[in-house]
Amino acid sequence: MEGQGLLLACIFTPLAGAFLLPIFGRIHVGLRNIMSLLFVLTAFLCSAMLLSPALSQGPVSVYWQLPLGLSIGFLADALAVFMAATSSLVASIIVFYSFGYIERYKNQNEYYLMVTLFLGAMMGLVFSTNLICIYMFWEISAICCWRLIGFYREEPVVRRANKAFMVTVGGALLMLVGFIGIYGETGTFDLLQMQGQTVANWVMVLILFGILSKSATLPLHTWLPDAGVAPSPVTSLLHAAVLVKIGVYVFARLFLVNFQLEAIWETVVPWIAAVSALVSAGAALVENDIKRIIAYSTISQLAFILLGLSTGTMIGAAGGLLYILMHSLAKGGLFLCAGIVEHSVHTKDIRQMGGLAKRLPVTAVSFLFCAFSVMGIPPFGGFFAKFMVIDSALVGGTPLLAGTYIFGAALTVVYLLRVFVKVFLGDATHTDVKEGTWEMVGSVAILGVLSLLGGIFINLPTQLTSFIVENLGRW
Amino acid sequence: MGAMFGNMAAFMTGGSGVNLLWLMVVLPVALAVLAVAIPRHAFAARSACFLAATLADLLLAIALFIAKEGSMLLRWTDFEINLAFRVDPFSGAVLLALGIFAVLVAIYSVAFLRRKEKYGQFYCYYLLTLAMANGAVLADNLVVLLFFWEGLMVTLFGMLLIGDRQKPATAVKALVLNGIADLLLMLGVAATAAHAGTFMMEGISQLPIEGLGVLGFVCMMAGAVGKAGAMPFHSWIPDAADAAPLPFMAILPAAFEKILGIYLLVRITFQFYQMVPGSVMSIVVMAIGAITIVLANSMALIQKDIKRLLSYSTISQVGYMILGIGTALPVGIIGGLFHLINHVMYKCCLFLTAGSVEKQTGSTDMRYISGLGKLMPVTTVCFLTAALSISGVPPFSGFFSKELVFDAALESGMIFYIAAVLGAFLTAASFLKLGHAAYFGPLRLPEGVKTEDVKEVPGAMLLPMGILALGCLIFGVFNALPLSVIQPIAGEGYDFSGWPDNWTLVAISCAVLLLAVGNHLFGYRRTGEGLKAADHIRYAPALRTVYDCAEKRYFDPYDIIMQLIKGFAWICYGIDRAINWVYDVFAVDFVSGLSSRLRLMNNGSVGRYMAWSFLGVGFIVLLCLFLV
Repeated sequence: MEGQGLLLACIFTPLAGAFLLPIFGRIHVGLRNIMSLLFVLTAFLCSAMLLSPALSQGPVSVYWQLPLGLSIGFLADALAVFMAATSSLVASIIVFYSFGYIERYKNQNEYYLMVTLFLGAMMGLVFSTNLICIYMFWEISAICCWRLIGFYREEPVVRRANKAFMVTVGGALLMLVGFIGIYGETGTFDLLQMQGQTVANWVMVLILFGILSKSATLPLHTWLPDAGVAPSPVTSLLHAAVLVKIGVYVFARLFLVNFQLEAIWETVVPWIAAVSALVSAGAALVENDIKRIIAYSTISQLAFILLGLSTGTMIGAAGGLLYILMHSLAKGGLFLCAGIVEHSVHTKDIRQMGGLAKRLPVTAVSFLFCAFSVMGIPPFGGFFAKFMVIDSALVGGTPLLAGTYIFGAALTVVYLLRVFVKVFLGDATHTDVKEGTWEMVGSVAILGVLSLLGGIFINLPTQLTSFIVENLGRW
Repeated sequence: MGAMFGNMAAFMTGGSGVNLLWLMVVLPVALAVLAVAIPRHAFAARSACFLAATLADLLLAIALFIAKEGSMLLRWTDFEINLAFRVDPFSGAVLLALGIFAVLVAIYSVAFLRRKEKYGQFYCYYLLTLAMANGAVLADNLVVLLFFWEGLMVTLFGMLLIGDRQKPATAVKALVLNGIADLLLMLGVAATAAHAGTFMMEGISQLPIEGLGVLGFVCMMAGAVGKAGAMPFHSWIPDAADAAPLPFMAILPAAFEKILGIYLLVRITFQFYQMVPGSVMSIVVMAIGAITIVLANSMALIQKDIKRLLSYSTISQVGYMILGIGTALPVGIIGGLFHLINHVMYKCCLFLTAGSVEKQTGSTDMRYISGLGKLMPVTTVCFLTAALSISGVPPFSGFFSKELVFDAALESGMIFYIAAVLGAFLTAASFLKLGHAAYFGPLRLPEGVKTEDVKEVPGAMLLPMGILALGCLIFGVFNALPLSVIQPIAGEGYDFSGWPDNWTLVAISCAVLLLAVGNHLFGYRRTGEGLKAADHIRYAPALRTVYDCAEKRYFDPYDIIMQLIKGFAWICYGIDRAINWVYDVFAVDFVSGLSSRLRLMNNGSVGRYMAWSFLGVGFIVLLCLFLV
């Protein structure tokens, strides 16, 4: 019973609390900020506390039957708890960072409301066992992302926010049709009642539209680099904690846990992702806007996650989940570092930056740590995830696919190195820059160190991912 | 003493119930952190910590070398990816070699880096490098091997950035080339594991090179030779000579990377896979070796900077090792490994002498320095010993190992033997030029350096050089000593110690050396300068253009790779922009065009609305009729 309380607190604290924040903001700005962090942290702590029951006593669940055969159900199994803890951990750090970043802008009340609501929607989605609930939370997140990308309210910014909204909602509507297709076959929206079945191919295509648009995979990806016009903590939130991870999480939820993926999709999905990985990595090498480069990098790394989740191998599934964690930590850090850089030099063009390592030492080192993790260089955490994902392609018997992804990984090394060198090394272009506020620098340092510790103490996260895949009952 | 090491060995490998193999990794890391934690101005304390770490590592390595076996296992993840360490006679010997060179170069570094900025960073990276190298050698699991192997990239990047943060190009080049080699190794490891069905190295033995095995073998080999610095993964090394502090060159490209690369190559070719003499793979490996020997030596010959010349020579020597191992013949493997150990000794020594020159004159450019022999006699003697060894003059160590490689090369194909001999000629010519220009001839110093300021370097720098130079002689005269350790690695019952068996080959080698001397004298007579003694080759009619292109870096594989990647990136960018156009322009135009058309239909005219209504009703009626 205690577990159920935790589960509900985890979902509804940020979801409901978000709407109190503008009121707190009227009273005192600091109170609002602290409360926002508190709501997000509550979600993290609750999900962390759900870990032990999920691992030892089996999943905690809450279930309400509604009329017309509908129902609302939340289930805290190991996969959901893992995802929730990852998201809310990174989101907490991002909210903390926002204290320093956002204080100079207008519309702060709305900002904190949307960020907290965003995380609440993520928590709801992660724990939902009902396709309609998943869809609803999915769309709440789209609304939040629309408002947050358009935070600066300028005309081009708003246009890009609209683009992101329309692409992801368009995908989601197609997915909804797919969900209805599933309902037509099974007579229920409740995931727990349709385990182990296969879905029709046309349904699969529709659902993939939703997932790939949310997880920004070619050819539904271009809204993500464009979303770089948002404030840096928001892009960090989109890329690391909540938005793009929704797609891969739902993929894992539906096709690892619930449905059997048909053999053809075990080939098609990795190859779509492979093309996406290469094209976006190439584009990252040409772009000059620091946030767009990192955004393309996200598209490229999401492909690795999809590869792991879709090869139908145990090591791939575990690697893909581990990749979600490591990528969240590292990519969150990269965007937050980009925010500090952007604030101190007032440009996003890397050609106009250089030699910042001397003035921003902590940011530079954190950026490098996170970049090494994304590149997959040991002893940083990304190494294990990358290796396991690549290995899954070979275990699955597709060496060509593995080679393609290795090429993608090589491109990752090149483009991230290019950013680091152009921004932090070389001749100093700015002399009057200084580090961000202590909240901002502290946040990036935490993420950088976590990326390192994640690799050194790899046995901790892999215990969880191994537990998840071993209990799927497929291998 | 022996008893003490015996006890330690038993202790470390689990004989007394405690397993401390991990100390080889953890101890250097812990002391590296400690060295950085000590305040910056306490040079002595930091250096003491640094030296203590390398000494402790050497003691541990000696203990493991004596113990010869031991293993440990720590759970990391599922899927057999566990932290597994194991020592066997081969890895024990490699650990010992790493430990000895680490101590020698460390002593030198402390004297060299005195009063230099950022020495603390160097200490830290140095110890981390040592830890990673130890880990890679101890690894008994392919993923653990990869973990430590790739981890070396981080410290490499850091060390190359110590020199000059304003010019990161070399660091980037090194990281990209190593990164590509390491990613290939990652692919190779995954393929090998899939082929063998296990990640545990103990369980992988003599796989056939077919199917997935081809991918696994080729990619792992690329990773190994890439680390060793063979072509085409070599081109960052000469650049690093300009960028990094000199002890870096002595410890990484000259020593550790060669040792690790060749160690892995031997493991791949003779443990994991079954490379047969004369097979395609064997020829591929030999070809890499032969090409590296000839091309890198040709480049070494025309260098004007001591450090750059030594770098190219380092690349060329790894060619001999790869050639020897690639023959897959016992004599070749033993020769390759023996050449490895000799190479590390003389090349370390040569780099250290270059460091002494740099420390005292501030330059290593032979156009500005000359005739240092009288001012720095001990350095000169050390240089001469090492140079005789690398040139393959009997009875120095290099002679014996080269003869073994020659023997194996001749047995595998005349072309490989010719490449090896040509390489020997070029090596001897390069070092005649280097020695003549830098240490003999008229005294010349860079501007602003006074003759009385240039004197012999302090004892702490001479000691490592002296030990290494002495080693070059001892390992030649008493070559049974190193060979008794190396020979068991190739199998039972081999004995190649003593004077080479094949007198014809020895005669040819000596003739080649004499030819090199004659060539040098010819060039010297022509130009009157030691430095220009190779100019008749540099500007020979056919070679001139090739050399010009090489000096303009047209052949640098890094530049070629980066050009290809850039081209690929622009294509990708084009695809991306095209997709974006669909969203940003096409979709918008399509929707607005459609809606403006639709608006035209609703223009308020009652007649038109009536017509639409009738059409609609008609359609519905037709539909109903059709359905009924």
